[in-house]
Amino acid sequence: MVIKTNYKFSLKKACLKNSSNFIKKDKLGQIKIQQMIFMILAVGFLFMLVGLIFLSMTLKDIKGSAAELSEKNSMLLVSKLSNSPEFSCGNAFSTSRSNCIDFDKLIVLRENIEKYSNFWGVAKIELRKIYPSSDVECQKGNYPECGIIHVLDKQVDILPYSSVFVSLCRKESNEYGIYDKCELARLMIASEDKK
Amino acid sequence: MKRKNCKGAIEISFSWLFAIIAGIAIIFAAFYLSSKFISIGEKSTSVQTGKELQILFNPLETSFQSSQTTSITVPSETRINNNCEDSEPFGRQGIQIDQKNFNKWSNTNVNVWTNNRYIFSMKQVEGKKFYIFSKQFNFPFKVADLIFLTSENQNYCFKDAPQEIIDDISPLEQENIFFENCPIKSINVCFETEQCDVNVNYLRGYVKKGEDFLYFAGVNGDATPLMYAAIFSDKEVYECQIKRLSMRLKELSSLYFQKENLLLKEGCEDNLQVSLYNLNKLEIQNSQEFSFLQNQIDLIYENNNFRKCNLW
Repeated sequence: MVIKTNYKFSLKKACLKNSSNFIKKDKLGQIKIQQMIFMILAVGFLFMLVGLIFLSMTLKDIKGSAAELSEKNSMLLVSKLSNSPEFSCGNAFSTSRSNCIDFDKLIVLRENIEKYSNFWGVAKIELRKIYPSSDVECQKGNYPECGIIHVLDKQVDILPYSSVFVSLCRKESNEYGIYDKCELARLMIASEDKK
Repeated sequence: MKRKNCKGAIEISFSWLFAIIAGIAIIFAAFYLSSKFISIGEKSTSVQTGKELQILFNPLETSFQSSQTTSITVPSETRINNNCEDSEPFGRQGIQIDQKNFNKWSNTNVNVWTNNRYIFSMKQVEGKKFYIFSKQFNFPFKVADLIFLTSENQNYCFKDAPQEIIDDISPLEQENIFFENCPIKSINVCFETEQCDVNVNYLRGYVKKGEDFLYFAGVNGDATPLMYAAIFSDKEVYECQIKRLSMRLKELSSLYFQKENLLLKEGCEDNLQVSLYNLNKLEIQNSQEFSFLQNQIDLIYENNNFRKCNLW
């Protein structure tokens, strides 16, 4: 019985000793918990940082290829836009011609451009007469005595223009009757710079 | 690890605890981020390929020539999903690309949209090499260039085709269209009987595919552009594109109506005002209604040819 009590006493003592060790270790544990939290946060931040750098590089790459594709689109589109039915001369001027724009149709199109604003996927379509040149902007009132026609202008930042030389034809009349008049012009288009 | 004589207390060293928690967090984050990046990468590739494909369609715009052809080869097995929307004012043409990576199809569900393309194909075209040809569609003026998209996996066998069709398609040298010695598993296109997968009745202006009828029409006796469109596409795509074409037809007729007004002051005649006005007011719902316009369109075409100054 005595032995048992002593044993109990020594056990209690040992546990108390352990408890004081516990208290010491608790403080140490708290420090280690804080240390662990800081480390987890640091590792988390590191991961976030690496992720952000990777993401920004990927995004930059995507934006770069988007701009490149838009420019490529403009370049290919400009050479074929004059064949689009809204622009092309068709057979209206004696024979079928390539790279020929119907000026009469274009001035009408300019007045009704709202519906076509997203049709070709570009931000600007502009036509400038090269010869005879003129800086007067075309309106229905001054047509055909003008030299620049802004067919479409979305008023946004744009990428560099792509252009092509075209013949700009219209019907005119004089005392001898109706005839076809064709002049040299430059068709310019630009895509939106989405940055 | 286990505390001696103190029941219920387990001591794990902090370095272990940290390693376990941080390890789990890092592994989860790595899995999550890598799956996200793979998905973003797939979407980006799909959009890029779709956009490049749309850009490649630009040179297919015809001028005085009536048709053009090209082919595209992609590095891996690809599915092109043809999505068409007939919303105002011109509808939209969507292309969605899925590619096979590690024997598994990506499912990006991202469309590249354009308004000025009319692609006629099956809803889904699969392969590594794609054949594309375009044909000018006049009704009675040029409305658009129709693009026909097929893949190397699908051969077409034209049986008893009229000589004008053979003369029209042969120069394109499209490797998946045959007039004789057709490979097995080809889609049979018949012009005289009605026993094939695709049955064309050129005189009555329809293509029959199973139970579906796809109607076509043209101007001045040439209905081939829409006939090819009906042969190479399924009903859903065909009907939607016809609706989009009718929308553009309406806008173009309004443009020519106003051009005719403008030319009056130059002394040109105004014999097309009423017909162009009527054309602009049309509401076409399907290919059958579209084909009913045939006579009206032929008349407008004739009247334009008789003019002192042609409108188109």
